[in-house]
Amino acid sequence: MQSFYHTIDEISYWSGKASAWLIVALTFVVSVEVFKRYILNAPTAWIFDANNMLYGTLFMMCGAYTLALAAHVRADFVYIYLRPRWQAVLDLALYFLFFMPGIIGLIYAGYGYAADSWRIGEHSTVTAEGPPIYHFKTVIPIAGALVLLQGLAEIARCIECIRTGQWPVRLEDVEEIDVIDTQLSHSEYVDEESRRVAMEGAKAIDEAARHRSVMEEGVVHEMAIKEDKDQEKKP
Amino acid sequence: MSDPALGLTMLGLIVIAIMMGFPTAFTLMGLGMIFGYIAFWAPGQHWWQNHIFDLVVQRTYGVMTNDTLLWIPLFVFMGYIMERAALVDRMFHAVQLAFRRVPASLAVTTMLVSAFWGIASGIVGAVVVLMGVISFRPMLKAGYDVKLASGVITAGGTLGILIPPSVMIIVYAAVAGQSIVKLYAAAMLPGFFLTGLYLVYILGWAIWNPKIAPRLADDQYRVTVPDWLRQLERGKNRSIVPGLIAAAFRPALAKGAASYGLILQDIVALSVPLLLTVGTFGAAWWYVLIYNAPSAQVVSAPPPITAAAATVAAPEAPAAEAAIADQPPEELGAAVEETSAAAPVAADTKPEELSTETQARVEGVGEVPAHFFQWFWGLAALSALSLLYYFWRMDAEQFEILKELCASVVPLGVLTIVVLAVILFGICTATESAAVGALGALYLAVMARYLKECLWWSVGGAIVGIVLGWAHADFVELIVSASLGATFAGTLGPGLIHLRTSPELRQNVKEATFLTAKTTAMVCWLFVGSALFSAVFALHGGQSLIERWVLSMNLSPLGFQFIAQMIIFLLGWPLEWTEIIVIFCPIFIPLLPHFQIDPILFGTMVAVNLQAAFLSPPVAMSAFYLKGVAPKWVTLNQIFAGMMPYMLIVCLCLVFMYIWPGMTLWLPEFLYGK
Repeated sequence: MQSFYHTIDEISYWSGKASAWLIVALTFVVSVEVFKRYILNAPTAWIFDANNMLYGTLFMMCGAYTLALAAHVRADFVYIYLRPRWQAVLDLALYFLFFMPGIIGLIYAGYGYAADSWRIGEHSTVTAEGPPIYHFKTVIPIAGALVLLQGLAEIARCIECIRTGQWPVRLEDVEEIDVIDTQLSHSEYVDEESRRVAMEGAKAIDEAARHRSVMEEGVVHEMAIKEDKDQEKKP
Repeated sequence: MSDPALGLTMLGLIVIAIMMGFPTAFTLMGLGMIFGYIAFWAPGQHWWQNHIFDLVVQRTYGVMTNDTLLWIPLFVFMGYIMERAALVDRMFHAVQLAFRRVPASLAVTTMLVSAFWGIASGIVGAVVVLMGVISFRPMLKAGYDVKLASGVITAGGTLGILIPPSVMIIVYAAVAGQSIVKLYAAAMLPGFFLTGLYLVYILGWAIWNPKIAPRLADDQYRVTVPDWLRQLERGKNRSIVPGLIAAAFRPALAKGAASYGLILQDIVALSVPLLLTVGTFGAAWWYVLIYNAPSAQVVSAPPPITAAAATVAAPEAPAAEAAIADQPPEELGAAVEETSAAAPVAADTKPEELSTETQARVEGVGEVPAHFFQWFWGLAALSALSLLYYFWRMDAEQFEILKELCASVVPLGVLTIVVLAVILFGICTATESAAVGALGALYLAVMARYLKECLWWSVGGAIVGIVLGWAHADFVELIVSASLGATFAGTLGPGLIHLRTSPELRQNVKEATFLTAKTTAMVCWLFVGSALFSAVFALHGGQSLIERWVLSMNLSPLGFQFIAQMIIFLLGWPLEWTEIIVIFCPIFIPLLPHFQIDPILFGTMVAVNLQAAFLSPPVAMSAFYLKGVAPKWVTLNQIFAGMMPYMLIVCLCLVFMYIWPGMTLWLPEFLYGK
């Protein structure tokens, strides 16, 4: 079971991360276009379509990656207070009720849409003689299939959680909170101790805050508390 | 087949379904698919030929080609890169030194730095944790009130999602079909107004009751000054300027200086305030008198004051009219940029004075739009005087602070202002400025690590840019091409060389890229879901049912506005801003014309309103982030208590915005016409 969903995770991570680099491409394509248009007076006709393709492919192809990271936004103000097993039951039911019809519909419809486009060799109509867009439309069924695959992995996770009562651990990946590391490892004015405490605890803090709970164990703080108590005693 | 009853069922189901905590994008997609299937069901039709399949794919493709949403990855990328490029810790230290004489200086600094850093990145959790580490402990050590300290961090940390360039506003623009540029212009003043209110509150409290924010001991902000700089202080004011300039010609004067290069470096740092001021005024001059002058007809529409004249005016008068129409934006640019430029310059001026001053200036400009030259030269003289005074009083310590500011705040500040100015004044298209902003952020990231190489490459790039742009021979275009060339070369040269050797650079770029992908996918998939859902909802007549129902209540515009904001405020407790704006705003937006509420004003108010939602106990995440890094004896309740006043201030700000819509709408109307 575990190898099943970890394999799918790997596929999603890989496809998502590969497509993520399109943002760097997008940045440079547009910047070069600025240079061309304003300085060299040589605008490119297909740039509008190119931008859309880069952006559209970027976010569609990263859908599975985002799902694998559990980063799709959810209204979790009730959910977080449930026990893992109940969370899994709820998730499992909703994967079949909402996720499956939505995504399968998208893949089916996207396949027809792309097939039509390929058949007529569709070109963009934004400008006269626009670039071909059939491969861009093909992104829809492909991205849908990836999301569906990842959905199967999530269903496997739910089943495992129902069996064991614990959510299986996800693979490591970058998180927003990682910036704490980057920032603090260069800091000159924060004392060694609180820096270490924050850097080690950042992930746990993030996790706890997302669940609207406070880490009661105080693992992170042991050292800091001592120091604070000394501070408190002084005045 | 469509049935309003089904529409209502949908609405009820969506609320329940969202509460079940399933990823919202797929909840919406699934519900839309099921109900759409029912809506399009026709007897005798094959089940796979249902029109819902056309709808879903067209909606998806619509999101994929939405050129408003195209902004999201670019701005998010810019934010993530900046977040890694600029060291907050250093910034905090420098700003704190600059504000050391202000009451509650640590709190004021925290507010300013987190607002500023939030402008750049706009990520709440990280800002709060980081400020919690950098400033919470020093504040508590200095004996600050716990409530003051925690309130400042949590309120400051959420400002980033309001002040442009913010992703929230892009998302609203995409939902409401409004121009992002207009919304950015609209959110500008309320954003700074809210920051100003926060600062007034902090300062007022600190002055009223100095015990909550004791002054730091003198050794806390002593600046270390090298001996040779001390020797250069001249006269009663101990100004360092004459001595330093003299030392440039006679290096023997600065005996202890390590090298001549150091003196030159210091002179460059000394000229930064001067350059910033001159640059601001020069850009203002160029924008009004050169950039806009030849294209008088292109100016979208004259502002209300000249609107009457426009209908009467003969075609031969467009130039004069454009001159009238264009002064206000320029003045505002000057005022806005001035404030930020003035922050390092007039380091001793109290921040609230600065912001109110801006406010006053802006208002004054609104009344007399025709006096460009008076205003320009008046402001120029004023800045020249304050600069002169600043240099006059610059002793070695002040100079060290200036150097710190130049190294930490100025690069990021200049980039942010340039990006905003380029967007607001319509110099490039929006997408282009976002991309150039992202490139600029990359440049800063490279520069922060490899300063020398980056500068050499930039010089090379600038030369190439000038050569390539030479054909046009226009001075301003040459500057633009040179700076573009410099940015390209300075980013790509050292960046690519060190990409192989520096794991840190590699990791930063990787992290920023992957996080951008994650955030973009999260927001845009939500759009895919909601686009389908809202189409099906309208198909069932649900939307018109709600409209009829609201209209039958005979609400006054004030009543409607109040109820709408109240609902959004309440929704802000359990939900994230993405869901509120993408799912619930579309319900209100079609009703706005009935009540003659400007969708831009409404959107800005929603953005401000959500600030309060982020500060509301017991669900506000920022409190939990702060609690995570706070010492153990700080309780969650203390943090919530510290946040409460800021919630009230946000409500006050909303009231101001309602009573005084000009604050929001003035800037977009002057920049782009009605």
